[in-house]
Amino acid sequence: MSDRPLAIAVASGKGGTGKTCVAASLLVTVPGLIGADADVEEPNLSILLGAEPYESSLVETPLPIIDQDRCDRCGECVKACRFGALNMFGDSFPAPNDLCHGCGVCSMVCPKNAITETGKPIGEIRLCRGNGLNIFEGRLHVGMPNPVPVIHATVEAAMAEKRNLVIDCPPGTSCPMVAAVRRADMVVLVTEPTPFGAADLDLALQVIRNLNKPAMIVINRADLGGADIDSLGRRYSVPVAARLPFSRSIAESYARGNPPASMDPQWKEAMLSIWESTERMSGN
Amino acid sequence: MKPKEITIVSGKGGTGKTSLTAALVSFAPQRTVLCEADVDAPDLEILLHPVKVSEHPFMGMRTAAVDAERCIGCGKCESVCRFEAIDMSSGKAVVDKTFCEGCSACTLVCPQECILMEDTRQGTWFFGQTDFGPMVHARLNPGGENSGMLVQLVRKEARLTAKKTGAGIILTDGPPGIACPAISAVTGADIALIVTEPTMSGRHDMLRIAELCERFGAKAAVILNKADLSNEGAVKIEEACRENGLPLLASIPFLLDVVHAVAQARIPSEELKSYIGPIWEKLMKL
Repeated sequence: MSDRPLAIAVASGKGGTGKTCVAASLLVTVPGLIGADADVEEPNLSILLGAEPYESSLVETPLPIIDQDRCDRCGECVKACRFGALNMFGDSFPAPNDLCHGCGVCSMVCPKNAITETGKPIGEIRLCRGNGLNIFEGRLHVGMPNPVPVIHATVEAAMAEKRNLVIDCPPGTSCPMVAAVRRADMVVLVTEPTPFGAADLDLALQVIRNLNKPAMIVINRADLGGADIDSLGRRYSVPVAARLPFSRSIAESYARGNPPASMDPQWKEAMLSIWESTERMSGN
Repeated sequence: MKPKEITIVSGKGGTGKTSLTAALVSFAPQRTVLCEADVDAPDLEILLHPVKVSEHPFMGMRTAAVDAERCIGCGKCESVCRFEAIDMSSGKAVVDKTFCEGCSACTLVCPQECILMEDTRQGTWFFGQTDFGPMVHARLNPGGENSGMLVQLVRKEARLTAKKTGAGIILTDGPPGIACPAISAVTGADIALIVTEPTMSGRHDMLRIAELCERFGAKAAVILNKADLSNEGAVKIEEACRENGLPLLASIPFLLDVVHAVAQARIPSEELKSYIGPIWEKLMKL
């Protein structure tokens, strides 16, 4: 057994390489794991696992409220805001818009102490349960621009359980991906051996190197494409942990909502070996 | 005349946005400007091989920098930073540029006034020339911020290029997801073309991006890709399109030949030819 709970982040660079399939397969294969869906723009982990929400809490970011009795419309807050998130038209009082990052600078600079903060809901965390699994699912509200606070809140909530954790990360290599892998002990990068897969994996590996995280690569649809993922991995000293072939029946069962490891022994074996290496590399 | 701006999006990643964008441009009915707006996984260039015309730095938000010599290690900056971007473990404040959002709160509380906001390069953008017309594309630095700003920038440059060259169409390969880069990619577009797949995830994500398009005033239409991977899933996508008033322009089966073409960094134009013509006809009438 582990000395302390481990968190394994499943990320990719390119979308649609099979992150959620790997995350779901780890969850159905390795006993005792819980899941966090940090792909809050498009949370799909619970769908694939048949887990249903039974509880939900809002994720809020701080939003300024302007006390109109105190505000003398000096405009210092509008000037100080670097996100263009406060508007003042003509004689109106300053008003926040959706660009607010909740940094607190406006209330710091207000000479009249006229700015306090309230919480603005930008997403939710749903606790989902099904097939013996518990998933913390982050969901960004449609129309909200910044997923990062929802990602942080989701990962934090799941980590508070102090159980071994699988984090399903958003695609890409920018701030949402960074936020999702930030607390992980191990990053599993899922790719495909196409030119797209290789180019995006290269970017993802640069991010992981900058963050100084241990990582391993899973090559999905390993027989489709022929791009040389192995030498890319070697260049960053990141091992290839598994190669999984394309299978029409796996693709079809995914379409119906079944994770590959629930029906394919090769996937199951790969998931066990990923988990064992994670324990080994983390010194547990 | 104002060019028609078509942005290809998906919600879910990996549905085939980039391959379809490339196939679409190879049969475009009018002169077209290409725009790569998936700036943190920019793959359109792999298929279109643009010849570089010019290269430009992308400066994002300014970020904080501490003058280590003057820092006394009081930690006031760390206590006001809401993005956990200040590390005091060395005894002095160090800004982690990956997490600094550029709000400047730290500069306001530093008793030494030793934190300044500095220009920060977050990526690079390019003008290129392809066989099918000019292309504006970009790369965000790995782990970079402000991808929405960069998307706005490449779209603005694509519009200017269209004006200069008299192009009738701007075709933009958008990012997955629904947050800032996706909002920047669909806002002001005439058509948001959603590429989906016949899976439960594909349907769920299609409906989220469709809602986003409606909110930001872009007319949405759908292409169902890899349609034969699940007949049941395909029927559900068709139903969801009908229920939500989304025109379904085409259903394309899963074609191994397309995968093989892309594996050779080649546009799957011949492989998709019979589907692309009817899609353009419908697109130009929308």
